[in-house]
Amino acid sequence: MITLAKVRCVTAAASSDADLISAHAAGDPYAFSELVKRHRDRMWAVALRTLRDPEEAADALQEAFISAFRAAASFRAESQVTTWLHRIVVNACLDRMRRRQTRPTVPLPEAGPGEPVAPRDAMSDRETSLMVQQALMELPEEQRAPIVLVDVEGYSVAETAQLLGIAEGTVKSRCARGRAKLAKVLGHLRNRIADANVPADGVNVQEQRQWEGR
Amino acid sequence: MTGMERVPMGPPWSVDLIADLHAGVLPPEVAAQLRPRVEADPEAREVLQALDATLADLEALPPIPMPDHVAARIDAALAAEARPAAPVVSLDEARKRRNRRLGLGGGVLVAAAAAFGVVFAVSPGGQQANTPGDAAPAPTTNSNVSAPLSLKRDELGSAVGEVLKAQNYGPLETPDRLAGCLKGGGITSSGNPLGISPINLEGKDAVMAILPAGLGKYRLVVLDPTTCGPDQPAGVLADTTVGQR
Repeated sequence: MITLAKVRCVTAAASSDADLISAHAAGDPYAFSELVKRHRDRMWAVALRTLRDPEEAADALQEAFISAFRAAASFRAESQVTTWLHRIVVNACLDRMRRRQTRPTVPLPEAGPGEPVAPRDAMSDRETSLMVQQALMELPEEQRAPIVLVDVEGYSVAETAQLLGIAEGTVKSRCARGRAKLAKVLGHLRNRIADANVPADGVNVQEQRQWEGR
Repeated sequence: MTGMERVPMGPPWSVDLIADLHAGVLPPEVAAQLRPRVEADPEAREVLQALDATLADLEALPPIPMPDHVAARIDAALAAEARPAAPVVSLDEARKRRNRRLGLGGGVLVAAAAAFGVVFAVSPGGQQANTPGDAAPAPTTNSNVSAPLSLKRDELGSAVGEVLKAQNYGPLETPDRLAGCLKGGGITSSGNPLGISPINLEGKDAVMAILPAGLGKYRLVVLDPTTCGPDQPAGVLADTTVGQR
């Protein structure tokens, strides 16, 4: 019979992530929940921004945390706990993306693609982030995932390559393509500069036409 | 001179090429030669600035906190996951842990809890089984000792994480009494609750039970232990479902 008296309960705020993982492996039933509590907002942002659908994001996170819970006992601290947990979450999101048969189009509700809704300096921060968020949702998944990780969440190219299981060069070039599209949609590229070289991908057709007269 | 011929001619250069340069995609020797030429061209420089502005927009995106109902659902799933592995523990140890989580000093509470000397086993099904020859159930007054969660009617969901960790019938004392109270409220539930704990609902001592309600959903039932029973629908103080819509 195991009693919890011998189990170190380290769910205090001061514990490191690695302490929590060890405590979980040693049988502390609350350590893993505490770990999840610490990271869930960031993971939620990644899942939601990657998958776009809140229900799917919640499903993916639940699946990811359960599988992390089961795997945590064998976790070895060769990688950062956060990276490890993130990898599991990103993989769960990627799995869902792959399983998804169709990719629903999320239209920009207030303005057509490529029509900046207002002069940028006249917009509030909130409006800007809404517009950026919407523009991000329009990117193809293969570009959105690296952009979310590198540009929004601040992961390094190397970490992102590891998380997504692709080469660093691929991360960079997908980020480059995605940023070029976003620069157009967000109105940073003035019409006379934006040439027809950014592929439309069925998203920015209107915008493409608009700029063709250059 | 190697690689010289691979440096794209321009201006003008395509936005994609400038974005590649900006993102570090190009081989270093190509980038080294292209960069000064791109930076010398006003149009290309504007593209670089547009890419920088795009990066700044992305970096400035605000964090998105996880909604409470998603957090509750994940807590519940993890608690359910933790349960089969839960070892047999003595009640006073369980109370000590709970008190620690509530951030309370252990001493006084441990002394009170030690008076129980009751041992319960948590089986994989999440059932609470009293050991043979067990002492009488704890007197209700002692349930106050562990400072039940104080909740308002509209914030029941916030207690899900805590209650799921508990199998404390409090003043209801037994699964049979719980079943009777649920029946009184017309609530059918097979098996034991996922979690149960005494709470304080808007100043009134009560017991919250969490019942499964389909995939990713939890039915929160708050019972008045003094009035609820098989023929007492009024004993159900609150009944709500949380989780996935």
